[in-house]
Amino acid sequence: METIKIAHLYPDLLNLYGDRGNLICLQKRLNWYGFACHIIPVELGEDIDFSTLDMVFMGGGSDREQNLVYRDLFRQADALWVEIEEGMPLLAICGSYQLLGRYYESIDGKMMYGLSFFDFYTEGEEKRLIGNIILETEVTGEKKTVVGFENHGGRTYFNDDTLKPFGKVLRGYGNNGQDKTEGISYKNLIGTYLHGPLLPKNPAIADFFIQAILKRKGLELKGELDDRIENFAHEQVKRMLLGT
Amino acid sequence: MLRKIIAIMLGKIVWFILKILGRQATVLPGRVARLIDRDILKKLSRNISEEIIVITGTNGKTTTSNMLAGILKEKGYRIVHNQAGANMLTGITTAFIKETDIKGRKKHHYAILETDEANVPLLLNEVKPRMILITNFFRDQLDRYGELDHTVRLIKESIKGKSLELVLNADDPMVAHLASDTGATAWYYGFSDTDYDSLESRESREGRYCIFCGHEISYRRYHYAQLGSFFCPKCGYHNPEPHFTGYDLSLQGGISLRINDLKITSSYQGFYNAYNILAAVAAAKLLGIENEVIEQAIKKYLPPSGRMETFIINGKPAVLVLVKNPTGLNQTLHTLQYDKRSKDVFFALNDNAADGRDVSWIWDADVEMINDINYKMVICSGKRSGDIAVRMKYAGVDSERIIIRTLLKEGIEEALRSEGETAYILSTYTALFACRDILQELQTSASAGEKGSKSLSAV
Repeated sequence: METIKIAHLYPDLLNLYGDRGNLICLQKRLNWYGFACHIIPVELGEDIDFSTLDMVFMGGGSDREQNLVYRDLFRQADALWVEIEEGMPLLAICGSYQLLGRYYESIDGKMMYGLSFFDFYTEGEEKRLIGNIILETEVTGEKKTVVGFENHGGRTYFNDDTLKPFGKVLRGYGNNGQDKTEGISYKNLIGTYLHGPLLPKNPAIADFFIQAILKRKGLELKGELDDRIENFAHEQVKRMLLGT
Repeated sequence: MLRKIIAIMLGKIVWFILKILGRQATVLPGRVARLIDRDILKKLSRNISEEIIVITGTNGKTTTSNMLAGILKEKGYRIVHNQAGANMLTGITTAFIKETDIKGRKKHHYAILETDEANVPLLLNEVKPRMILITNFFRDQLDRYGELDHTVRLIKESIKGKSLELVLNADDPMVAHLASDTGATAWYYGFSDTDYDSLESRESREGRYCIFCGHEISYRRYHYAQLGSFFCPKCGYHNPEPHFTGYDLSLQGGISLRINDLKITSSYQGFYNAYNILAAVAAAKLLGIENEVIEQAIKKYLPPSGRMETFIINGKPAVLVLVKNPTGLNQTLHTLQYDKRSKDVFFALNDNAADGRDVSWIWDADVEMINDINYKMVICSGKRSGDIAVRMKYAGVDSERIIIRTLLKEGIEEALRSEGETAYILSTYTALFACRDILQELQTSASAGEKGSKSLSAV
């Protein structure tokens, strides 16, 4: 059986609001599709050989933790970018998403630098943006709704207007509560504010990553999973938010 | 003076009207009274002749304060004690309004005030407790208060410079440091090694990093979650020596343990309740209560609603359990492992404000433990029935054994119909009382039906 390797970056520092559920979801679905899946936890100070990985996952964290992560990841950023450019799937949630941009300036004026993979920045504000959220995305090639829960003090703004958001906000706040954009998508990378966790209730997005992983390895995705329970949960939130 | 009397009078009237209407009168009377006299709580709290004790923390504050209240009542003291769930300033004010006389002069010996972590600084502005007891700081209600670090810092700042005693959990690295730099007197309670410890924690933990130097905390052993025998390899922060030590713990069919020279038995279950008992006993000892009174009071104390209350419906036991955060859910699943009978598990997940709007906490719990509890069916209910069903599926429950019944009554009936020997009815806060009512009603009608059929066969 083919083994898929997913790195979980800094699981002790970056795991808020059930974000580890994304990995549980990917692992189970890969198993159900007939692949083994090995989750590799990476701690501070460890060197990562990104070229041996099939996917990278990073969850949310508090400010203090973001700073620790930045310092550690910065020294390996170039190698990571090479893989992203070559289509390695990466999912970054909330604090980790902010880390992909230029900087995050907290409410008390503290500057936290980002990896500058993309030309966007984040500014903290007093009022946190909290609640259920629903988006419409086309990352899978067709229009799909995505449901989740957001909880962030930071507002993210794109400097570079060629950057593509992950989705368009139907209900909720998204990147900054103003321009209806949410997250970022670039090749097989998604950065997003969505907790929930994101993947279990949005099996289409989980399978987007799985497809990308397999394609890169020259493997094929066969068969279909029974997603009735996942879709029920998705629709339940969707109904609550859109009232349809 | 007049203002105070009007505030009390109106508060009492509101309380009385709500009671007549059959509503919960836990918050509104206090809110009304505070609108009329902003200092009403400050004034009424001066009627406490002995001490005011504040109890806070993430888990266990209700059980701990109920037990402490039970001990003080056993001793014959009159106390003011706010209701579970009504633990903001308005709820605490309500408790005083309810207990006082119309002139607001009636004396009580003790006040036991259970309050949310983030509410402690506000409460300290209005009342002067002798003692603050902290149970633990776990990940909970994050969506209301931001991250845990922040809350802990706020509490610490509000304590600074006040002359009070802290009763602290020595086994929780997020709690044990709280007295440092505050000038407060600290008393510690904790467990020595128990048979239930593990060397590896499976559960998601808070406070893995040292509060003083930021280095990762190491553990010699875990009692549960982040509670255990810990030390920081870098700066040396470690469990303080407890003044009240729990040992000889047994969790078979209830709880028994020794605390210093006391022998305690209780019909509560689970390690987390052993901590609640330990905390309540520590506080009672500090208040000078005799061993025999404490032992007697805890023995008599039965779990209230939502804390493992059992109903019997057509011969099938159904146990009602409140779950509200990952640690609580982990503890419940642990406890279910001790019960070897086959079981149906019902889980009502709501996302109202009192439950926490964010239901992602179910992914921080080790729901995978469900595979070790001998379950037959898992019934998913409540406003977020879909979310709990997905969690169960990804924890390894076969889809064929997951039933979604969003309506509570249908779900509970399904759980009782299924073939397990016993049913566990898990519920988040806002579904708890509805679940309890349903179980009560089913129990009553089932036993009436039984009697009816018996008398019929006699004819």
